[in-house]
Amino acid sequence: MINFQYLRTTTAKSAIALLVKDKNAKFLAGGTNLIDLMKRGVTAPEKLIDINHVPLKQIEQIGNKIHIGALASNSAVADSALIKEKLPLLSWALQAGASAQLRNVATVGGNMMQRTRCSYFYDTEMPCNKRQPGTGCGAMEGFNRMHAIFGASEKCIAVHPSDMCVALTALDAEVVVANAKGERKIPFKDFHRLAGDTPQLDNNLKADEMIIRLEIPMNNLAKNYHYLKVRDRASYAFALVSVAAAFELSNNKITDIRLAMGGVAHKPWRLTASENFLKGKEATLSNFEEAAQLAMKDAKGFGGNDFKLKLAPNTIIEGLNLAKSKV
Amino acid sequence: MEKRVLKDDNDRVDGILKVTGQAKYFAEYELPGLTYGVLVTSTITKGKITALDTKAAEKAPGVIAVISHLNKPSAAAYEQEGGPQMKIFYTDKIFYNGQPIAIVVANTFERATHAASLVKATYAKEDFNTDFEKALKDPKAKKLQGQADYKRGIENAYKTAVVKLEERYFLPIETHNPMELHGIIADWRPNNQLTVYAKTQGVKATQGTIANVFKIPMENIQVNSEFVGGGFGMALRTWPLEIATVMASKHIGKPVKVVITRMQMFTMVGNRPAAIQTIGLGANKDGKLTGITHRAYGETSTYENFTEGVVNMAKFMYQCDNVNTAYAIVPVDLGVPIWMRGPGEATGAFALESAIDEMAHALDMDPLDFRIKNDPETDQQKNKPFSSKNIKEAYKIGAEKIGWSNRKNKPGSLIEGPWQTGYGVSVGVFNANRGKASVKGILKADGSLHLQSATSDIGPGTGTGMTLIANKLMKIPVNKITFELGDSSLPPAPSQGGSATLSTVGSAVNDVCVALKSAIAELAANSNMDATANFVDVLKKNNLPQIEVTKESQGGKERDNYSMYSFSIHFVQVKVHALTGVVKVSKIVSVGDSGTIVSPKTARSQMLGGAVGGIGMALTEESIIDHRYGRYINNNFADYHVPVNADVPEIDVNFINKPDPYINPMGAKGMGEIALIGFSAAVANAVFNATGKRIRTLPITPDKILA
Amino acid sequence: MKSSDQKPNQGDSRRDFLKKSSVITAIALTPSVAVKAAESNADERFAQLFEKIPLELTVNNKVYQTTVEPRVTLLDYLREELHLTGTKKGCDHGQCGACTVHVDGQRVNSCLSLAVMNEGKKITTIEGLANGETLHPMQAAFIKHDGFQCGYCTPGQIMSAVACVREGHTGSRAEISEYMSGNICRCGAYPNIVDAIIEVKEGGEKV
Repeated sequence: MINFQYLRTTTAKSAIALLVKDKNAKFLAGGTNLIDLMKRGVTAPEKLIDINHVPLKQIEQIGNKIHIGALASNSAVADSALIKEKLPLLSWALQAGASAQLRNVATVGGNMMQRTRCSYFYDTEMPCNKRQPGTGCGAMEGFNRMHAIFGASEKCIAVHPSDMCVALTALDAEVVVANAKGERKIPFKDFHRLAGDTPQLDNNLKADEMIIRLEIPMNNLAKNYHYLKVRDRASYAFALVSVAAAFELSNNKITDIRLAMGGVAHKPWRLTASENFLKGKEATLSNFEEAAQLAMKDAKGFGGNDFKLKLAPNTIIEGLNLAKSKV
Repeated sequence: MEKRVLKDDNDRVDGILKVTGQAKYFAEYELPGLTYGVLVTSTITKGKITALDTKAAEKAPGVIAVISHLNKPSAAAYEQEGGPQMKIFYTDKIFYNGQPIAIVVANTFERATHAASLVKATYAKEDFNTDFEKALKDPKAKKLQGQADYKRGIENAYKTAVVKLEERYFLPIETHNPMELHGIIADWRPNNQLTVYAKTQGVKATQGTIANVFKIPMENIQVNSEFVGGGFGMALRTWPLEIATVMASKHIGKPVKVVITRMQMFTMVGNRPAAIQTIGLGANKDGKLTGITHRAYGETSTYENFTEGVVNMAKFMYQCDNVNTAYAIVPVDLGVPIWMRGPGEATGAFALESAIDEMAHALDMDPLDFRIKNDPETDQQKNKPFSSKNIKEAYKIGAEKIGWSNRKNKPGSLIEGPWQTGYGVSVGVFNANRGKASVKGILKADGSLHLQSATSDIGPGTGTGMTLIANKLMKIPVNKITFELGDSSLPPAPSQGGSATLSTVGSAVNDVCVALKSAIAELAANSNMDATANFVDVLKKNNLPQIEVTKESQGGKERDNYSMYSFSIHFVQVKVHALTGVVKVSKIVSVGDSGTIVSPKTARSQMLGGAVGGIGMALTEESIIDHRYGRYINNNFADYHVPVNADVPEIDVNFINKPDPYINPMGAKGMGEIALIGFSAAVANAVFNATGKRIRTLPITPDKILA
Repeated sequence: MKSSDQKPNQGDSRRDFLKKSSVITAIALTPSVAVKAAESNADERFAQLFEKIPLELTVNNKVYQTTVEPRVTLLDYLREELHLTGTKKGCDHGQCGACTVHVDGQRVNSCLSLAVMNEGKKITTIEGLANGETLHPMQAAFIKHDGFQCGYCTPGQIMSAVACVREGHTGSRAEISEYMSGNICRCGAYPNIVDAIIEVKEGGEKV
């Protein structure tokens, strides 16, 4: 690791000012992904701007929205009484990620900004279009058991590793970002990108912008919900496939439904077609099965991850089952 | 020293040091002028280094030296022809990807790490193969005999049996991954005096290896290794990285510390080799085995051969007149393997104990009944009686505790929602060894006993076991007994491996205690004291502050007359999720048949550890290589899945706890290996019972269940 | 979230000082001869002036004032600089938990935290857990239940276990196991670790 410069600031404004001054500067929040990547030589910023003292840790209800500051820790959000009551799906998704130690430090903004865990991205001796555009995709014909089945490009089949983001996609969150001129809002589903021709870009945050907070609309999804994460060991592992499922039942009919998957695409994968199918229908196993098949319409395996073509719909069905059985 | 005392005689003697952070592992010794070494590794898999640019590294802040084959510091043995092919810094040849090619020494860890990234190597690449299965299929690839073929009765008798099966089993590379990173501190001083702080399972072995490489007398080398943060076999040899560190210290005249990275733990310190095995079993309709054939191929490196006891168990574990085995090793362009807990026997037991379960199913027999029906009374391989064997009793205890009666012989019978439940059983067996060791005992007039031996403790609780042996014989309270180990200047003892430490060193402790007692009795008699007089009074009466005795101890002829093994039975209950393919081990009962249990608390923990390691072997562990590059894909703790707390249910550990009459004075047989051996088969068998799916390739991950 | 956690914990003067200690600022304030010396690596002492920044850290209630390179992790700082080697390096990438310490009472992986990020925070390591000669109840419980073998993951397990009890994630064996899954034990002492945590929780002593 190079001996970078370390700066600390206490306002978003000065943080942004410091960031734009230097092309090789990066924000440092929890550091749980960034420092890891720096140790592996995947990234080598010359300047780190420690933003941990910027007061963006709020978790509060404002009007009919929940606001979560970009620097709120994953555990603070997961354990917040407000989140547990109003957005339990988010709390569950957060608890499914990483470990208690990492969640204590990792921030909401950092979680959104985390890079893929693709082995080829991490090993600087291997080809990777995301790490070094033009070198090729090592995973395409290599080890791709963990990789994308949806929306993959010819350049990159990596997946976004977050659990939290899967829930946020399902919950129609908005991301408030700021640059020196002011704030703008990005719908969460548009925050992350597909790899396309620019796999080096994970998201649509601009180089001069900082994530300020999330705004999540209130909903009636706190009763029938589940976050199901399938992984190679019982905890502390990235998802093979995960499903965020939540719906509102009225007279046994589904009136509102959210479905999103993790571990299957370069971004959290919202299952709009399945949602549309289930809306207005009864919460039955056969409907769940049909919805799961709809979700798989454009899925494509790359060999090592072919099993996900079966695992993914199964996980959707089981996620919906578990959401339904919640009392 | 801590004034706190242990509350229970069975508590670990080093427990307080370990829970307070005071236990010192190799990397934690402070030496004046200590420097930090970081290894640069090859990024190709096979070929030659054509150029090594070290200029930028040498100029980087804090860098003291960059050492490689370009400026190799003198290692006398490496200057001679012959010897090992992999002479670090004495060869420009690359044998595998991740091979150390240079060491950068700087005044801080961060500076050494950064400077190491600045060293640039240029290579002449050669074609390579890291794919063991591909090598097996390649008629041109070398296949070396790993063990003499064995035959009893008719070869391949299973082929003509009434009921027969032939199946192939695959075990991937596993990596030991003890929690402590490997490394060493080397302090080479004038006049060829060397002190090392090592992570080793054998201080004498480390001392010997270094003496051989540098051609300096053993007495010049002091090896310290009091606390070792796990080994599981990987610290049974001195690795090139350790020799490199000694070279570096010799070169710069300062102490050098190297702690390798977790990634380097996959390429520099060995692994459990991949294995492909074929088992042929034949039985008659009554369920009697009529033929066992076990053929195995193990992976090895191109520069050094590695063999282990993969096919041992088939030769004696079941009553069968027709048995044949074969074992060959196949070189690939990877680092050389090394024994990993349970070693080859654990590899072999996965195949054999899976096949036994498959045969029971083919016969429509309860696999427990099938095993009991084929349980041998004597060792047919050695044609000797077993020194002790209580397997039938162990089956009974285990079956009752796991609730074996709830098991249905028809797979897939127990279903609750999406979860399918299954039960599995397997046997583990390993040589009950006893080697040669020396122990010194110092009995003091203050009522204390101090014992010393150059043995090791990589975690099983060596000091605790030895203390309890002495406590029982000498009737001295445990808090008055100390056992010193991990120091090459102490009386010699073998490395800690092969489940032999308690048997070997414990016997020497026994002999020392017996000798001390008779010395005291003699002193008492000479001073007209009662033969039962307390040793403190005897020493005081004789004006002796202490007496000391050193004893070398080893077994005698008993091994000529008896076949000596430790046994274990593993029962597991699993739950398999039909939709997601997730397998949960929900209940474990392990029964150890390893003679007298000397140290009940640490013995139980050994069995727990074996079960947890077994869960990893069965369900999660696999070191994956991208054979296009020869590089590991999952060389870290996030992607190489060691079981975590949530993977492990409560484990019911039981011991037969009957002394073996012949093995050693304690009647105790080793148990580090049997705790693991066979466990993975018990899980695979339970998965079959739950789902009807027979998985013969480990680990049993969700994709394999769904396939 | 406790309100105290949200306040910046240093005054303006401290922040200004830290900003000034960035390399750019330092070079601007330094005589040109020193800059030249540093660039050519002619004098290590000068080079260090630029690369290290001051750090005040409270570890186990003791205040340490040193200078440190920003790239030094809290883990390496504790082990190599302060010689508090009870905190272990098991993976150096936040994947094993051996380096777990408490920062302002919360368990964190010290390997993925820069020492400089912890300015002004209270760090507790395994060495600071016991009360003088009296073991912390969790330490005693680990000995009683043999919650370790080789002992290398143990300090991290104990720091994590104490936090687990404080957080209240001890409702069942399953909950404890889940919340202790960030601490890998290769010797496989997990069931004993859970037993130790249950004992401490049921003992009701303040941890």
